Amino acid sequence: MSTTKKSAFPSPLSIATPAGCEGWEEMYPYYALLSEDRREADEQRLWFWNSMHFPEPMPAFDVVAIDGPYYALANWQNRVFAIPPAMGIDYRIVNGYVFITPNAVSDPELIAERAAYFGERAGYYFGHWDELYGRWREKMEKLIAQITALEVPQLETYEEDAVAFEDRDTAFVRVLDSYNLALRMHEQMWQHHFEFLLLGYGAYLTFSDFCKSALPEIPDQHIAQMVSGIDVLLFRPDTELRRLAKLAREAGVDGSFSNGRTPEDIIAELGRSEAGRTWLAALEAVKDPWFNMGSGDGFYHHHRSWLDDPSIPFSAIRGHIDALAEGRDTERPTEHLTAERNRLAQEYGALLDEAARATFNELLGLSRTVFPYVEEHKFFCEYWFQSRFFNKIREFGALLATHGFLRDGEDVFQLSRHEVGEALEELVLTWAHGGPPRGPHHWPPIVERRRALLERLREWTPPPAMGTMPTEAINDPISVMLWGITPERLQSWASAMSGDSTTLSGAAASPGVAEGLARVVRDVHEITDVQPGEILVSTVTSPAWAPIFPKIRAAVTDIGGIMSHAAIVCREYGVPAVVGTGRATAEIRTGQRLRVDGTTGVVTLLDDEEPA
Amino acid sequence: MTELARALEQLRAPDEERYGGKSASLGELIAGGIPVPPGFAVSTAAFEAFLAAGSLRETVAELLAGVDPEDVGAVTDASAAVALAMRRTPVPESVSAEVEAHYAALAAASAKRQPPVAVRSSARGEDSAEATFAGQQETYLWVRGTDGVCEAIRGCWISLYSPEAISYRARMADSGSPPAMGVAVQLMVDAAVSGVMFTCSPLTGDPSVVAINASWGLGLGVVGGEVTPDDFLISKVSREVLRATIADKAVEYVPDPGGRGTHRVAVAEPRRSAACLDAEQLRALVATAAGVERHFGARQDVEWAIARTGSLPENLFVLQSRPVTATAKAGSQAVADRTGLDAMSLVLSTFGVKPQRD
Repeated sequence: MSTTKKSAFPSPLSIATPAGCEGWEEMYPYYALLSEDRREADEQRLWFWNSMHFPEPMPAFDVVAIDGPYYALANWQNRVFAIPPAMGIDYRIVNGYVFITPNAVSDPELIAERAAYFGERAGYYFGHWDELYGRWREKMEKLIAQITALEVPQLETYEEDAVAFEDRDTAFVRVLDSYNLALRMHEQMWQHHFEFLLLGYGAYLTFSDFCKSALPEIPDQHIAQMVSGIDVLLFRPDTELRRLAKLAREAGVDGSFSNGRTPEDIIAELGRSEAGRTWLAALEAVKDPWFNMGSGDGFYHHHRSWLDDPSIPFSAIRGHIDALAEGRDTERPTEHLTAERNRLAQEYGALLDEAARATFNELLGLSRTVFPYVEEHKFFCEYWFQSRFFNKIREFGALLATHGFLRDGEDVFQLSRHEVGEALEELVLTWAHGGPPRGPHHWPPIVERRRALLERLREWTPPPAMGTMPTEAINDPISVMLWGITPERLQSWASAMSGDSTTLSGAAASPGVAEGLARVVRDVHEITDVQPGEILVSTVTSPAWAPIFPKIRAAVTDIGGIMSHAAIVCREYGVPAVVGTGRATAEIRTGQRLRVDGTTGVVTLLDDEEPA
Repeated sequence: MTELARALEQLRAPDEERYGGKSASLGELIAGGIPVPPGFAVSTAAFEAFLAAGSLRETVAELLAGVDPEDVGAVTDASAAVALAMRRTPVPESVSAEVEAHYAALAAASAKRQPPVAVRSSARGEDSAEATFAGQQETYLWVRGTDGVCEAIRGCWISLYSPEAISYRARMADSGSPPAMGVAVQLMVDAAVSGVMFTCSPLTGDPSVVAINASWGLGLGVVGGEVTPDDFLISKVSREVLRATIADKAVEYVPDPGGRGTHRVAVAEPRRSAACLDAEQLRALVATAAGVERHFGARQDVEWAIARTGSLPENLFVLQSRPVTATAKAGSQAVADRTGLDAMSLVLSTFGVKPQRD
C-alpha cells in the first residue's frame, strides 16, 4: 500500500553520491543497485543498514560475502523450511554500504500452506538435532580441508609430464576449474552455515517469548544468561592465549613480550633460548585449530585469521601477561558463570506455577540443546573457512600478478568475482597462445580507481535506515534476534535522525553504569588502539575482539540485539553495554566523555571536548 | 472482661475480628521478624464502649435514620451531625486508662517523655470492598500525650461516618452488624524517605520484581498521591535495578516545628530532582519485601519508611502490609496458551504454525 505519511527515513533513491565518489556503482552487481524500474517497490520498503555484518564499504570481490549468505539464508528459510511468515533477505548497495530488508509473507493461506512444510521439515531437525549437528561438523571440517588443499596451478612454460603421459587435465582447465571450485565451496559453506541457524534462533526466541509472557519484567539479559553455553568453542582461542600467557611467566620468557615488539621480534628472541623454544612448541600445538580464529567476522577479505595476522593474539597474550603481573585473575569465571546460570533458571522457574514451570524447563532444555550451534558455527564458517577461502583467492591474485594482470596479488579483491574469472580466462588464453595480453593494461587502472573510491566512501556515514517505516511489526525471527530490529528500535532511530541529541538509546545489553572516554572503532584494524579504561564505540563487535573486553570500561554499538556478540561478551566480563543505538559511531568522537547505562540502554554524551 | 487494648507484638491474624486488619497484620509482621515500629492496638470493644457511653448509639441511629444515600446534601449533613455528637462525647475512662498505660510503656521503651506516635484506623476486613474507604479513614501523625492519642482515636472512629462511608453502607443495605473499628498506635518514624512497595509488578503482576515508589519525608505525599514519587523496579532474582524513574518531588511532609502534627514544605534543588534512595537502601528494601512476602506467602503491598537517624538495616521500618489482590496474574492468557504444549509445538508456533491441542 502506498502511504502519504512522510517517512522518518530518507527515500532510498534520494541519497546522494558523496563528492568524488561518482561511479561507485561499477564495483557492484546490477541487481544490487537502486534503479528507477524498482523505485516504487523500493521506496515502500524499509531498508536498514546492515552495519553488523557490513560496517565498511564493500570491495568488489567481497560482494561474494553478501550474495553467499543471502542466497543461503533465503534458500533455507523460504524454499527448504518454508518458515511461514518470512521469506528471505533482500539487499541493495548504496554508496558502497549494504542495506537489507526482510521479505515477509502476509497471505494467511500461503502461511498455512508453508506451515505444513515447515512443521514436517523443522520437526525432523529438532528431533535429530545432536545427530545432525554431529554430521554438520564433519561436513564443515571436510570442506575446510578441501578449500585448503585446492590447487592453484602455476602456468609454466611447458606442462608437466603427467599432462602428456598420464591424461592429466591441461593447465587452463585446472586454473578455471579451481577458481570455480573455490567459489562453489564458498557457496557450500554458506549453505551449511544456515542449515541450523534459523531453527536455533527459533528455539531461543520461543523460550524468550515464553519467559516474557510469564514474567513480563524479566530482563533479556537474564534469558540469555540462562541459555548461553559456558564451555563454548568460541571462547577456547582466548582461553588458550591465557594459558600461553601463564606459561610464558612460568618459563620466565614473559619479558620477550614487551611493548612495541612485533610477533616476529618476539618469536625470533624466543627461538634463541631453551625456555623460549619450549614456549614456541606450546604455541605451535595450540595453532591448529585455535589460531583459525578471525580478526573480524569473515565478511571482508581483510579479516585475517590469527595464523595470518598474529598481532592480535600476541597483543592479547601481552595483555594477559600484564594482568597476571598485576595479580589480576585472567581466567574466565566459568564456575561462577555456571552457578549463576543455574541459579537464574532455578529461581525464575520457582516463581512459576507447576504447569508453566514444566513448559519453562522444556523450552530451556531445547534452547540449551540448539544453542551450541548458534554459538559455534561462527568458528567453523566465518573464521576458519572464510580465512582459508580468501587466502585461496589471494593465490589466484598472486597468479594474476605474476603475469602482470595485477600490480599486487591483493588487488584481486578490487575485482568482482566475475571479473576475476574473466581475467583468469584471458590469462590462460594468452598464456597458452603466447600473444600479447590486454589484462596488464586493462585491470590495474580499474584497481587504482576502486581503491580510491573505497577510501572516499569510507568517509561517508550511512543513515541507519531508508525507505518507509513498516506499518506492521517485523516478525521475521532472524531480523529480531540478530539485528534487534523491533518497532521500538526503528522509532528510536527515527527520532535520533530528527535532530541533535545528547543521548542515544539502544538495547540494554549488559547491566551497570560506567563513565569514560570514547574510543570509536569502525575498522577491525583500529582495535589495537583501544586503551585500558576506554569505552569502546563500534559499529559492531566480533568474537575475535574478546581479548580487548577485559580492558574496556563499557561498550556501545550501532547495531545488534541482546544476543549479539558484544552483549554476550560484556555480560561475561561484567562490562556495561548498550547495543543497537543506530548511530553511535556517527555521533560520538574518540575522546568524548560518555556515560553508558547498560541497565536502561541509554548512552549520554557528557561533553563535546576533543581530547587535548 | 472485654479486652480494650494490647501490645502489637502480641497480636496475630485471628485477632483481626477484634482489632481490625491493620493491627493484626502488624502483629503478624513482628512475629515474622519484620521491623515494625513498636506500638499498641485499640480493640473494637473500645469503640463499642464509646458508643455505649451516654446515648451515642441511639443518637447516631436517629441521625442516620431515613437518610437517602443518593442525597449528597442529606448525607453530608448527617455525617457532620454524627461527628459533632461524637466529638462531644468523651472517650470512656476505661479506654483512656488503657491508652495511658500502653503509651507510658512506649515512652519508657523510647526513653522519651511524650514520644510522638502515629494513630491509624484498623478496619475489619481490610481487603474487603469496604477497605476502599481506607483512604477516608483517618491517620494522625506526630501525636503526643495520652490526651492527644485519645483525641486521635476518636477521630478515627468518627471517620467511620464520613459521607462516603455512610452512603456506601446505606447503598449496600448493610443491615448486618453495625460498623466497628480498631485503632493502631505506633511510635512515629521520623522518615527521611518513605513510600510503598509491591512484591510484584503492579502493572503486569510479574512476581520476579519488586516495585518501589519513594519520596522525601513522611509517607503522606506518596500515599496521598500529592507527589510523583521516584519509581524503581528491581529484580528479586538478581537484585539489579531494572528501571529507575527519578521524579520531580516538589513537596514533602515533615514533623511540625511545634512538635505536634505534620507540615508540608517545598523541596529545594538539588534534593528535589535527586534520587531519594541509594543502592544500599534499595537492596535493604528488596530484602524486606522478600521477607514480608515470604511470611504471608502472598504478594504484598508494603508501606515503609527509612528514619533520619540510625543506619541500615535498623532504621528501615515497615508501617503496614496488605495482600495485593488487584493485579492481573502475569500474562495469564498468554501463559495458559503455551502451557501443556510440548516444546516442539511451541517452537513451531514461533514461526507461525498454530499449535494443535490433543
